[in-house]
Amino acid sequence: MTERQTDIEIEFLHMRLCSPLVLASGVLGLSSSSLKRVADAGAGAVTTKSCGLEPRAGYVGPSIIPVSHGMLNAVGLSNPGVKEMVREVADYRARCRTPIFVSIFGGTVEEFGDVAEAVAQAEPDLIELNVSCPNVYSEFGSPFGADIDATAAITRRVKQRVGAIPISVKLTANCLSIGQTAKVCEQEGADALTAINTIGPGMLIDLNVRKPVLSNLCGGLSGPAILPVAVRAVWEISREVSIPIIGTGGVTTAEDALQMILAGATAVGIGSGIYYQGLEIFDKVNEGVQRFLQEKGLGSLDEIRGTAHE
Amino acid sequence: MSEKMSTYPIRRVIEHSPGLKSFYFYQDFDAVPGQFIELWIPGVDEKPFSISDLSDGLLEISVKAVGPFTERIMSCDLGDYLGVRGPFGRGFKIVDNALLVGGGIGAAPLRFLARVLAREEKEFVFLVGAKSKEDVIFSRELSKYRFYCTTEDGSFGRPGLVTEEMERIMAKDSFACIYASGPEAMLIRVMEMAEARSVPFQISFERYMKCGIGLCGQCCMDGSGIRLCVDGPVLTQDAVRGITEIGLPHRDATGCRPRPT
Repeated sequence: MTERQTDIEIEFLHMRLCSPLVLASGVLGLSSSSLKRVADAGAGAVTTKSCGLEPRAGYVGPSIIPVSHGMLNAVGLSNPGVKEMVREVADYRARCRTPIFVSIFGGTVEEFGDVAEAVAQAEPDLIELNVSCPNVYSEFGSPFGADIDATAAITRRVKQRVGAIPISVKLTANCLSIGQTAKVCEQEGADALTAINTIGPGMLIDLNVRKPVLSNLCGGLSGPAILPVAVRAVWEISREVSIPIIGTGGVTTAEDALQMILAGATAVGIGSGIYYQGLEIFDKVNEGVQRFLQEKGLGSLDEIRGTAHE
Repeated sequence: MSEKMSTYPIRRVIEHSPGLKSFYFYQDFDAVPGQFIELWIPGVDEKPFSISDLSDGLLEISVKAVGPFTERIMSCDLGDYLGVRGPFGRGFKIVDNALLVGGGIGAAPLRFLARVLAREEKEFVFLVGAKSKEDVIFSRELSKYRFYCTTEDGSFGRPGLVTEEMERIMAKDSFACIYASGPEAMLIRVMEMAEARSVPFQISFERYMKCGIGLCGQCCMDGSGIRLCVDGPVLTQDAVRGITEIGLPHRDATGCRPRPT
């Protein structure tokens, strides 16, 4: 492995990541080969697509549609199921040393526990709890993430069943107070927090057929449009907790990533940004962050993390 | 080019044979042969289709009824609005003195390529194979070129497999490039023959390209992990060498690859 840009390295939980950038869940996370390619492109860690107990085909198309300043998606949690995901993670591990985070979802608190325990067999570096997918309302009702008690219960249950593997709860900005939700997660044993999931949901209507375009009618909004919401969410969370935050939502440039760090994020998620910048986004943002640190005479990101609060 | 959704009325429909039609739309984008679009039937689904021609702003998509979605397209008519996103992916690069090998409806992108090659006065031989006469598209148009056809049942052209005819043609002539598109079993044989004679190839592959914009991961190929929708669908031998899943059953909508039982 080649040494890359050592001064943008970060300490995240007990890991040393070569870059603060983490592939966000939902993008290019279905197979070991795809995840390895993103790691090779410069990500400090990669997150799988959310998996559940059984394979799911998700929704028919259109399921991902670019709109002005963002992206709408309602993929419907398509995934190969936890058994297959464990195999992909093992295959990834055999070929790649970049840390891998596995995202999971469940329909009930118990199911979250079951999936987490099954995923723990693969010994991922972190398990991320997707309590905030906005696109499966008809099946699962409103996301757990909007309900502070449900989020707490899931965090507690998963923590009991995964042993020493760290967990991060992926929060939604669609709640009364993301700071309070984060605090409760920390109290229940969460090791980290990921914020935010897509927001909305939003809708796109075609003028000729006069119908919503997404097959699910509406879908979560991601991309540049949601960056300010994500930065604010990370800011609020950072005031309430001392566990690390993966600041995710609308990051496409080094400046965006640095805003997340200043707001208090330890790591920075990249998802839809791959659409805007290609896989080169990881190198570009890494280089931009590095350049910023050099220009300001800073040794590492630790020196600026959360300093926007001061 | 628009990766956003736009809907257009169908301007023209041609029925080549039962269950095999071309649909035409006026477009404001430009495309190269080998690129594809995502076609949306409102209220039904969205699927990728290669472009079989684009000239003077008129986009042509050729569809064979093979499943519920393509069956549904057969009942679409003049004036119906369908959604088109694209064009997506990397297409064919133009090379002089080429052999084009198409299998069934897979010949559609090669027909677009042949038109561009002819316009640029390049030399080429076009070889098409199909199960039966009804599955051969554009035969009248293609017969103005150096065109050879095979059918498995012998109802049109020479009886047999297209790869057998390819073997005969390659024994006689040498080519600077082989372009191919069709069923994967055929493509594997085409690649073997090309490699045996050290002829470079450009081959169009098919996977479930769900989003078309390199995000969903459904079309990522095992091995190098390339995203077929943005890094393909046309791949050269260098790209193919890094892939380990050619010839295996494709991953389904869940992302599972069916395992042999």
